[in-house]
Amino acid sequence: MTDVKTPVPEATDAPAAKPERPIAWPLGIAGVVLLVVGSFLSWSYDGQILNDLSINFYPGGLQILTLIGAVLSLVLLLAEKGPMTRLGAWLDATLGIRTLGAGLSLYMVLILVAIGTESDGLINVNPGGYISLVGALLIAVSGWLLPLRQLRDMSEARLPGGIEILTIAVLMAAVLFAAAYALGLQDAWSFILCLVFIAVIATALFRTGTMTFVSHVGQRHKKVLTLAAFVVAFLFPFTQNGSDANMSIANQVLIFGATAMGLNIVVGLAGLLDLGYIAFLGAGSYTAAVLSNSAFATVGWKPPFLVVMLVGAAVSATLGLIIGTPTLRVSGDYLAIVTLGFGEIFRFSMGNLDGNNGPNLTNGPNGIPGIPDLQIGGFNFGDEHSLAGIELGRFSNYYFLLLILIGFVILVFARLNNSRIGRGWVAIREDEKAAEAMGVNVFGLKILAFAVGAFLAGLAGTIKAHQDAAVSPDQYQFIESAFLLAAIVLGGMGTIAGVLLGATILKLLPEKLRFFSEYRLLMFGLLLVLMMRFRPEGLVASRRRQLEFHEEDEELAVEVEEQRLAVGEAQ
Amino acid sequence: MTVTESRPEATRPIGEPVLEASGVTMRFGGLLAVNDVNLTVREGEIVGLIGPNGAGKTTFFNCLTGLYKPTSGQVRFAGVPRKAPKAPKVKKGESLDLEAVPVQELAALTPLPPKPRAVVRAGMARTFQNIRLFANMTALENVMVGRYCRTSAGALTSVLRGPKFRREEEATRARAQELLDFVGLGKSTEHLARNMPYGDQRRLEIARALATDPKLILLDEPTAGMNPQETRQAMDLIFKIRDSGLSVVVIEHDMRFIFNLCDRVLCLVQGQALIEGTPDEVQSDPRVIEAYIGTGEDDDEDAPQDAVPDSTPGEEKP
Repeated sequence: MTDVKTPVPEATDAPAAKPERPIAWPLGIAGVVLLVVGSFLSWSYDGQILNDLSINFYPGGLQILTLIGAVLSLVLLLAEKGPMTRLGAWLDATLGIRTLGAGLSLYMVLILVAIGTESDGLINVNPGGYISLVGALLIAVSGWLLPLRQLRDMSEARLPGGIEILTIAVLMAAVLFAAAYALGLQDAWSFILCLVFIAVIATALFRTGTMTFVSHVGQRHKKVLTLAAFVVAFLFPFTQNGSDANMSIANQVLIFGATAMGLNIVVGLAGLLDLGYIAFLGAGSYTAAVLSNSAFATVGWKPPFLVVMLVGAAVSATLGLIIGTPTLRVSGDYLAIVTLGFGEIFRFSMGNLDGNNGPNLTNGPNGIPGIPDLQIGGFNFGDEHSLAGIELGRFSNYYFLLLILIGFVILVFARLNNSRIGRGWVAIREDEKAAEAMGVNVFGLKILAFAVGAFLAGLAGTIKAHQDAAVSPDQYQFIESAFLLAAIVLGGMGTIAGVLLGATILKLLPEKLRFFSEYRLLMFGLLLVLMMRFRPEGLVASRRRQLEFHEEDEELAVEVEEQRLAVGEAQ
Repeated sequence: MTVTESRPEATRPIGEPVLEASGVTMRFGGLLAVNDVNLTVREGEIVGLIGPNGAGKTTFFNCLTGLYKPTSGQVRFAGVPRKAPKAPKVKKGESLDLEAVPVQELAALTPLPPKPRAVVRAGMARTFQNIRLFANMTALENVMVGRYCRTSAGALTSVLRGPKFRREEEATRARAQELLDFVGLGKSTEHLARNMPYGDQRRLEIARALATDPKLILLDEPTAGMNPQETRQAMDLIFKIRDSGLSVVVIEHDMRFIFNLCDRVLCLVQGQALIEGTPDEVQSDPRVIEAYIGTGEDDDEDAPQDAVPDSTPGEEKP
């Protein structure tokens, strides 16, 4: 008999609360004051580096970030003891102060290192930098001296509906602002430091429980949250002042993200490992290319773009069916090998269909260059426009189109997931034999996942061909498939936000950190190994996936169940 | 000596054959797991399948449900026609039980293809010896998966979410809830299957099987590891299922349970049908006793102490 109900050991009583040191709180306040004072002083002797941190009483960008950190610390300290104790009943201020203190110290140390390496040695650090560092360290020390307290359950926290929606809006605005600011930084050190700062703030928000509250709010106002996210994405080009550099990166992120979402249906929902997925993106791209007005296009038929999109997606889905029908009878590692082989076959075929071996369809290794910009109705995607005085270049036009595409992909993903078909996929992942014995069409559902995933990738591919203005076989190497899979694993299989986050990280970082490119693969390898060790379910975990990865964890199962019940009651 | 207690009245009309397995043989290499077994199950009948461990009971189930393709023999089933007619509207006065498992007209016996999906579609559902629930789904979701083969929303409908999709989804949910109430799990709807107590998991598996609208349900050791009270509840549930017009085949080792429950019992030994008959016939047959506890004559060492009459535990007492 296998009794699944094992007694859960009683949660060990919290260690006797440390007696509060009376010095802790004033120490924290002193730290905040020092941090602020330091930020207004000069940090660096050299005015050429890190966007000029050398002027007294005129804080530069990184110094303003420090000030933001100081203000947050102050709020948390006041929530601990002082006028905002009501907030302190909900938020874990102590943990937040500890995280902020440690994070800001790390940030300051990195800034000093940056100043030291960019100019000649630490001699160029002015007193302001050291004062701020001491301030950050004091905050950290004060955080460790402050006692942990009993908190109220965050799922009961309620604010008036309007204010909850405002919270979402403020948060989204902060995301937009942070993205625009970080992307605007030109030199690598500033960018890295900014990322570190954002990571510190985000961690602190998670540790205090603010994010738990936000996620509860998000569940209560799902539509508002989705809408707000799209509005932010929509507004992004307006923050770039017609700069093409960042918009080009953003477009790559969107294409990569849309493709990853398609793969997420295959991997995250149906649980099939596909290592040749980039071929479906390629099939869409090549279809759009040969049907375009390029001088090198090999097919005479020039239908309107909407038709091209459908044809490209259909070609891609057909390829999915062709590869899926015979191979989906194998599973696991074998399927991965077969799909890997398929991806390579696609690349070689595209490289060989040059008229020497077989028909001239793709111009072989040269690919099809000179694909003209899209023309839908009277609107040419190559033209620049200006809206309310803000320049929107060629890439912005494609950006909006890609935004619609990714919205569609997310819609398909979410609705399939939450339907009879989605339940079938979960059942197959859980126990294929039992699913079959319950009448679930196992083979049909697997094929469907393959075809839908390929269809969506094909759609993305048709736009990519026009955006890149050229296709060639080397764009569709195995490593791209591996990165798509890495984005899903990193972000969280089966989730929407996670995969988009993973795609953004994997596309954005290499583009911004060009000087780092030789170590790119090494870093990704390390990152994935660490993820597998410490958080196998990904950055944003789907609750069910989390359970699947932690089969033994009864407490987690109970916790998930309680949360579901809480959500059920709220609705 | 008999263990049969006051049996619930068996005067209900036993109907036409639902399942007719003839000459089912399953061979794994040199091992003859099931050898030429015949079984007929009629409408509204509870048939027990007993036999010592390794007798081939579960293998026989797997042959019936299409998980194995029998080496030879045929399984014929009077299933639900492919296009099931709409269940008639239930009138107010009728009890919940009848409402929960609507009875459909029987079709003629037709051979079953050895594919699990086709078998389920035809109207035969099963549970597993070792529970095979979808552990990380809630109770309701588990039962909703059972509805899969009776619903039809495809990919396009699911994405477009027309009124038909929403109606079907609503109906699936309502029916799943109804079945959970039927097996007595109405309060555990949102619990994860893996967090549920053992007995509830067994019942949830039955609810999931019932969700496929079967004519015949095969239960593989539904009371294994249960205490006497839970066993009694399981028995009541099986009677309830039978009373709503389904046929039931049960594999079980608990003889008291089997002989109280079943209309007919088939005893398998080493892959062969030893005897088939009413509980009284089977439990008084010396060969069955021999198969379970040995004869005590030709193999002295093997005859266990508790073969002595009156000191045997109920389970092995013929």
